Amino acid sequence: MRKNGVKMIKIKAKDVDVFYGKKQALFNISLDIEENQVTALIGPSGCGKSTFLRCLNRMNDVIDICNVKGEILINDFNINDKSCDVVRLREKIGMVFQKPNPFPKTLYENVSYGPTIHGMAQSKQEMDEIVETSLKKAALWEEVKDRLHEPGTGLSGGQQQRLCIARAISVRPEVILMDEPCSALDPIATAQIEELIDELKKEHTIIIVTHSMAQAARVSQNTGFFHLGQLIEHGSTDKIFKNPDNKKTQDYITGRFG
Amino acid sequence: MNLILFTFIVLLGFTSYYFGRKKAYTIQSTKKRLTALPQFYGYYLAIWCAIPAFIIFSLWAIFEPTIVKLLILSDYSNQGYLDDELNLIYEKTKALSRGQFTGEITPFIEASAEKYLSLRSIAQSSKVVIVLSAIIASVAYAYKRISSNSRTREPVEKFLNAVLFTASLAAILTTVGIVFSLIFQTIDFFKVIPLFDFVFGTHWYPAKAFVRDSSEALDPTMYSDTFGAVPIFAGTFFIAFIAMCVAIPIGLMSGIYLAEYASTKVRQYAKPLIEILAGIPTVVYGFFAALTVGPFLKELGTSMGLEVSAESALAAGGVMGIMIIPFISSLSDDVITSVPQSLRDGSYAMGATKSETIKRVIFPAALPGIVGSILLGVSRAIGETMIVVMASGLAANLTLNPLESTSTITAQIVVILIGDQAFGDPKTQAAFALGMSLFLVTLCLNIVALRVVKKYREKYE
Repeated sequence: MRKNGVKMIKIKAKDVDVFYGKKQALFNISLDIEENQVTALIGPSGCGKSTFLRCLNRMNDVIDICNVKGEILINDFNINDKSCDVVRLREKIGMVFQKPNPFPKTLYENVSYGPTIHGMAQSKQEMDEIVETSLKKAALWEEVKDRLHEPGTGLSGGQQQRLCIARAISVRPEVILMDEPCSALDPIATAQIEELIDELKKEHTIIIVTHSMAQAARVSQNTGFFHLGQLIEHGSTDKIFKNPDNKKTQDYITGRFG
Repeated sequence: MNLILFTFIVLLGFTSYYFGRKKAYTIQSTKKRLTALPQFYGYYLAIWCAIPAFIIFSLWAIFEPTIVKLLILSDYSNQGYLDDELNLIYEKTKALSRGQFTGEITPFIEASAEKYLSLRSIAQSSKVVIVLSAIIASVAYAYKRISSNSRTREPVEKFLNAVLFTASLAAILTTVGIVFSLIFQTIDFFKVIPLFDFVFGTHWYPAKAFVRDSSEALDPTMYSDTFGAVPIFAGTFFIAFIAMCVAIPIGLMSGIYLAEYASTKVRQYAKPLIEILAGIPTVVYGFFAALTVGPFLKELGTSMGLEVSAESALAAGGVMGIMIIPFISSLSDDVITSVPQSLRDGSYAMGATKSETIKRVIFPAALPGIVGSILLGVSRAIGETMIVVMASGLAANLTLNPLESTSTITAQIVVILIGDQAFGDPKTQAAFALGMSLFLVTLCLNIVALRVVKKYREKYE
C-alpha cells in the first residue's frame, strides 16, 4: 500500500548470506518488500529463492547445518537478532508450503491449531468464529462447512492447499510466505489460489516463490529474480517482465535458460 | 550316503544351470532372439533338475520306513502278537542292525535284522537309481524345450512364486499345528478339571498333583482347589503392569528424545547403546533382578520400615520393564522419525514450539505405530518367563502388593514341566491349558491392537 505515494516497506533484507554447512547458498541478498503487495521470487531450480523465503520466518533454524548471516528487518526489527522470539515471529509471518501439508486432524482442528497455541480465543464461540472467517477468507467455507469435523487429509489437493492457507491466516499474520503453492495443483485449483492471493493482499503482505513466470506476471506487483544464489534484479513486475535491466533476467524471462 | 547323493544332485543343479545358460548363448549366437535373459534358461534347467529329485527324496522319506516295517513284520504275522509287541520287535530289530542291542538275541530277531539291513540297502540303491534317472529324464526334456527356444521366464517366475508361497504356508501350518497340539491336551485337561474351577478358582497349588501315584485311578475330586488359575493370571497381569509402568514412560520419552531432540551425533551413539539392552539374554536380566535388584529393594524397604520379600513382584516387574524399554524406544523412534517433515514444518511455521509440535501433531500422527510398539512390549511382558522364575518366585500368591512374591503363567508352566512328567496326567495337561489361555490372551491383545491401530489410521490418513 502506498501512503501519500510513498512505498511502505514491510521487510528489509540487508546483506543476507546463507550457508548449508560449508556451501554458500545465498550471496549478499538485499531486498525490500512492500507492504500489502505481492512480491514474486523467480529463478531456476536451486537458485536460492526458497532458501531466502525460509529466512524470513527463520524456518532455516530447523535445519541443523544451516547458518544465516545478515540483517532481516521486519517492521524495523531485526529477526536474526538474539532477542527475537521465533514463536512470535512465526505468528506474524505465516507460511504455505509447496505440497499441501494439512495435519492429520479434522478440518476444524487444522484451522484452530494456530489460534490455540497462541491462545487467541477465549471461548469455543470465538474459536468457531476464527475458524469460519479463516475458511471464508480462504474461499473454502462453502465447500466444507458441513464437514468441519472430518479429516483434513480427505480433501482434494486444491482444497487441502486452501485449508493450509486458512490455517496460515487464522492467526492474522502480517506477512504470508508461499513456497510454490500451486506446483502440486491442477490449473483450476491454481486459478482459485491465484484469485485468493489477490484477495489476501488487501490485508497481508505476500511473498510467493514460483516456477511459473506466467503466474508471477499474473499475481505479483514486484518481482525478484534469483540466479545461483544471487539476487540478479528486482523491481516492479511490469518492469522485470517488459524491460529488464539485466541480460540474465531477459534470458530467463524469455525462456532462453532455466 | 544320502549326503553324497544330495551333494551330487546340487552339483548337477549347478551344472545344468551352466549348460542352460550356455545353450542360451549358443541360440543367441545364431542371431535368434531369446525369449528371456540367458540366466533364465539356466534357472529353468536347474529347476527341472531339482524338482524330480526333491519329489523322489520326500516320497522316499515318507514311505521307506513304513514299507520296510511292513515287510519285516510280515514274517511275524499270524503268530498272534499284539500291536505293541510287534512295535517292540521292530525296534529291537533296528537296534540290533545298528549294533546297539543289549538284550538277548534270538534267532528270529537276528534274521529280521539281516533282512532289515538288506531291505535298507535295496531301498537305498533303488533310490539312487530312480533319482538319477528321473533327473536325467527331466533335464533332457527341459534341455529339448530350451533348444527349441520356448518360454523359460514364465515357468521360472511361477516356480519362485510357488517357493515363496510354500515358505509362508510352512509358517502358517506350524502355527496351526501348535494351536491344535494345545487344543487337544487342553480339552483332556478340562475333562478332569472343570473349566469353572480353572477360570475362577483362587488357589493354585499344582504340587498337590505331583504326589499322586500314577498307578492309582484318576480321582477328579482330589484336584479340587488345585488348579485355580486366578492367582497366576492376576500375577501375570500385575507383573506385566509393573513392567509397562517402567517401560512405557521411559521408552516413549527416550524414543521422542532420540527422534526429535537428540543431535545426529548423540543419536548415533545413544541409539545403539539402548539397543544393546535388547541384546542382553533374559536369563541375565533374571539374575540381575534376583541377586541385585531384589536384595536392594529388600534393604531399602527394611530401612523404611516396610516388609519386602526378597523375591518381589516389584523387582521382577521393574527389571522386566527395563528389558522392554529398547523395544518401545526404538520402535517409537522409528515411527516418529517417519512422520513426514512437512507436518513438522507446517507446525513450526504456525509458531508452535517443539514440544507443542510433538504433542499436537507428531504424536497423534505416530500414534498407531506407538500403540503397536507398546502392545508388542505388553506381549513380551506377558510371555516373559526367566525373570519371573528367578526373581519373583514360584509361589502363586493372590496379592496386589508389589512387595510380595507372585507368580505368572509362564513361570508355572516351567514349574510343571521341569523334571519327570507323564503325558496324560492332569499336572502336565495343566501346562497346556495354561499355554492355551496365554495364547488366547495374547491373541485378544493383538486383535484389540489391530482394531485400535486401524481406527486411528482411518482417522489420521
